Amino acid sequence: MGDGGAYFIAGALPQTEAPALEATPWGATEVVGHRLPRVDAYERVSGTAVYPLDVLLPDMLYAGILRCPHAHARVKKLDLTSARDMPGVRAVIGAGTPGGEIPWYQVRGRAFSRLFDEHCRHEGEEVAAVAAETPYQVFDALRAIAVDYEVLPFVVDEERARASGAPPVHDSGNRVGEPAVYERGDVAAGFAAAAAVVERTFRTSCEVHAPMEAHGSVVRWDGNRLTVWDTTQGVFAVQGEVARALGLPLANVRVIGHYMGGGFGSKLEAGKYTVIAALLARATARPVKLFLPREDVFLATGNRPANLMTVKLGAAKDGTLTALEFSSLGSTGAYPYSAATSFMASELYSCANVRTRDETVFTNAGKARPMRAPGFPQCAWALEQAMDELAGKLGIDPLALRLKNVPATAQRRGNQPYTTAGLADCLRRGAEAFGWDRSRRPRHGGSKRRGVGVAACFWGYAGGPPSTVIVKLFADGSVNLNMGAADIGTGTKTVMAQVVAEELGTPLERISIEHADTGTTQFATPSGGSKTVPSDSPAVRAAALEVRRKLLAMAADEMKVPAEELTLRGGEVVAKSDPAAKLAVSAVPGLQRQGALVGVGTRAPNPEGVVTAPFAAHFAEVEVDTATGEVRVLRVVAAQDSGRVLNRLTFANQTFGGVVMGIGFGLTEERVLDRNTGKMANANWHDYKIPTMLDVPIDQQCVPIDRPDDAFNSTGTKGLGEPATIPTAAAIANAVFHATGVRVADAPITPARFLQAAAQKEG
Amino acid sequence: MLPNFRYVKPRSLAEAIEHAAIPGAVLHGGGTDLLGFLRDGVAGANTVVSLSGLAELRGLREERGRLRIGALTTVAELAASPAVMHVLPGLAQAAAAVASPQLRNQGTVGGNLCQKPRCWYYRGDFHCLRKGGDTCFAATGENQYHCIFGGESCVYVHPSDLAPMLVALGALARLAGPSGSRVVPVEKFFVLPEEDFTRETVLEPGEVLTEVVIPLPPKATRTSYRKVRTRGAWDFALVGVALAVSWDGQLVRDARVVLAGVAPIPWRAAGADNALRGVRVTPAEAARAAEAAVVGARPLAMNAYKVDLVRNLVRETLQALV
Repeated sequence: MGDGGAYFIAGALPQTEAPALEATPWGATEVVGHRLPRVDAYERVSGTAVYPLDVLLPDMLYAGILRCPHAHARVKKLDLTSARDMPGVRAVIGAGTPGGEIPWYQVRGRAFSRLFDEHCRHEGEEVAAVAAETPYQVFDALRAIAVDYEVLPFVVDEERARASGAPPVHDSGNRVGEPAVYERGDVAAGFAAAAAVVERTFRTSCEVHAPMEAHGSVVRWDGNRLTVWDTTQGVFAVQGEVARALGLPLANVRVIGHYMGGGFGSKLEAGKYTVIAALLARATARPVKLFLPREDVFLATGNRPANLMTVKLGAAKDGTLTALEFSSLGSTGAYPYSAATSFMASELYSCANVRTRDETVFTNAGKARPMRAPGFPQCAWALEQAMDELAGKLGIDPLALRLKNVPATAQRRGNQPYTTAGLADCLRRGAEAFGWDRSRRPRHGGSKRRGVGVAACFWGYAGGPPSTVIVKLFADGSVNLNMGAADIGTGTKTVMAQVVAEELGTPLERISIEHADTGTTQFATPSGGSKTVPSDSPAVRAAALEVRRKLLAMAADEMKVPAEELTLRGGEVVAKSDPAAKLAVSAVPGLQRQGALVGVGTRAPNPEGVVTAPFAAHFAEVEVDTATGEVRVLRVVAAQDSGRVLNRLTFANQTFGGVVMGIGFGLTEERVLDRNTGKMANANWHDYKIPTMLDVPIDQQCVPIDRPDDAFNSTGTKGLGEPATIPTAAAIANAVFHATGVRVADAPITPARFLQAAAQKEG
Repeated sequence: MLPNFRYVKPRSLAEAIEHAAIPGAVLHGGGTDLLGFLRDGVAGANTVVSLSGLAELRGLREERGRLRIGALTTVAELAASPAVMHVLPGLAQAAAAVASPQLRNQGTVGGNLCQKPRCWYYRGDFHCLRKGGDTCFAATGENQYHCIFGGESCVYVHPSDLAPMLVALGALARLAGPSGSRVVPVEKFFVLPEEDFTRETVLEPGEVLTEVVIPLPPKATRTSYRKVRTRGAWDFALVGVALAVSWDGQLVRDARVVLAGVAPIPWRAAGADNALRGVRVTPAEAARAAEAAVVGARPLAMNAYKVDLVRNLVRETLQALV
């Protein structure tokens, strides 16, 4: 689709073969679906979990990166000698030293930059790097590097970037490709036939991912083999990029990513820091640790682009949409990526006449990266507020207007049917849990006003092959689950262990997990795109089923009961017809003789001719102090259709996390670039305002639809991470309007923006 | 990274003053502002003089109609003090509005008054006027958080929540220095950029703020502090309003309206004070005082909303106080 769903797939990936055993859909389940705590909860809470930032190796050096302080500049002269002479310094590299020329930001064979490029296109671009015995020596040495910059004209505003005469970020201009236009039906006729038309321009701010654990790596060479401890969402993605950059065979690059402290899309790819650390480690023959200081994370590890979006909607008297027009402008920063947002607008609601246009430009700012549903929260901000306005104009309840336009098919994807479509369910069941009808009644008050709002979404990617997983049953009945996927904090390890437990009857505490290590686990795509569960859990199930089949065959010999009449429960093989006939797994002679049973599971191809998508609808109640513009979110109900729920607790956790992130998008977070210098004004935790506990309501309710999507995969699962955050901000904005009659079109709704919008309305 | 510095922990005030007088020395109370300031490289320091060994600078006590607050008293202690909550609820509110629980536990009253500006250009990688450059980046830049009053050449806003309340209460600051001790009203403790844009307070080299003394107001006095910020905690005021109003029956005998987040110093809205004196605070009078509070405001390109915010907040907080 090219709008952000397939970002984690580097080129066309091979399909894994269909698993050997056909897996029939689960009916009722014993372990899957329950509220179970994380299998690694103790490690995470006690501090025994080792994150890459914690890794300390004998003889290890520390490293840091010198970055360009200007929005746009050319390095005229770089003098590394004084830094080399500093105490404790073991290596200094930059443009002109080996590896500095490594191509970077490559798209279709064209490299837009180099590891160290004299042409610095944004504040924070890498100029040189140092390895030294202590972090303080690194700090001092970085400041001793003398750089002579030619400061160039810059552009950081996306509208200015596309105007003629704007300073070019690249010689080829500031356009990232031609604007992408999509059209169906007859838009002009659709608007002509409309009884009501609304049109408004919305803007969202640029957000940064701001994970708790900064980006970075620890690297060690053993001869020509490189081991990388990386804080990443995808060890295999990092392996591929690092191997390519350094000219190494894949087999010589081992990337380990067991625990990681948050990514949200910013850790789907290899960072320059990993390759820089590897070059420094090679130059010094010492292990090197390179973690970015917080400022660098803000400047150079990705962001969600700001978007300027104009929405025009037309509808008949009864609310049936007759036409929809959506245009979007966004900036990718200095290197190619997509800032498109229109995809959801063309499929969320049924509409025959649609035109969308997406334009992405370069600016002199850090490159954008996928951020939790790339393009979709921005689209929801605009589209769902426009739907609210349309409902107001037609005099129809906003919930009813949405239900009126629930689509039957995926309209932008050949009108294919959905395997399961939960939009209407999310709207209805969410509304019921929220008490929509009751809450919607107007209330009066002084300067503090309460209101409610709704917004909906789907997410454009569902996952699929490849995925290969190994499950190993040891002679004592304990199990090792071996999978390549990262657990980025979502509970991946826990739910996958539940899938194994469901099939093998093994207690969770007897299942150990080996994961996210290119040296010891099987290929998996990065954990992103809300696809880890729907991509990898069927492979886990297939591997467990293979072990089960082998084990039951062995037990059948011993018990003289046909294998198909046996099942596994609590570490025992039990005859279905005669529960008294049982045998401990560890007593199965075949297993004892063999030592261990191994099952290999793969992810079957996705079904053809159908589309799979998770859906959601969020409902928010807010209190707005119209005198001050303070918005307090009082409660949120999030109805999520993500297929079968594997774990009720992690499901709710991830939903709440999405809601919190949505509150940041809607109310507090924005990157501020100084108009006069192009430099970031708020590259710190304090000025870049992530919501605190006081900004998040305790009253959050997750309503899972929990309808297994058995036509899609063998676990009936769809994704959750992204649809849990897409509509939150728009629901809040609609609630603010319901409370006050003030439409705040620009995110985030800070007191300042509310007061400005309120003054404009009066004025 | 923190730059290199010498660390000393004096055992007596006299010793602290001696160290503080060394050029390049800085005072360390709770460190919540100082350490970030040094880490961000806003300015260097060759000596960090910790005051933490000076027990005599800690604690609150009521004495002869005055509340004496040692400079090392933590903001959390102030917020939780029953005496303060009972007699000067506005001061407790101001203390509770500071930063976050962790920072209030560590940050001190003295340090809160001696905070360096929070302007993001000053704190960030910008060689601004205040750091010896030749430009105030905020004047023509991203100035949504900057001042609407009193910004000549440098347009930061004073970051303290306590200071406006203390000014409203007519508090005094005791300063001890190489040539003895002196007392200045907290109102006169702060320095406007037009007077001297290289400093924020009247502290001379070697001088230490040792305590704040609040004359306890007459019984019929009410105080309040209301802060508006972008997020619920760990955020400085967009606008804060400190009120201390004493009554004579139904009528206002005396009022002090002091604003946070609008000027490089705690800003006295003297026009509002005058408008309130002798009147009964009806909604109309509250609105009149609120209007008087914004007279003379000169918003920058991006902060006109602060004028509305001051007007609305003064009006609402006055009415809430009645």
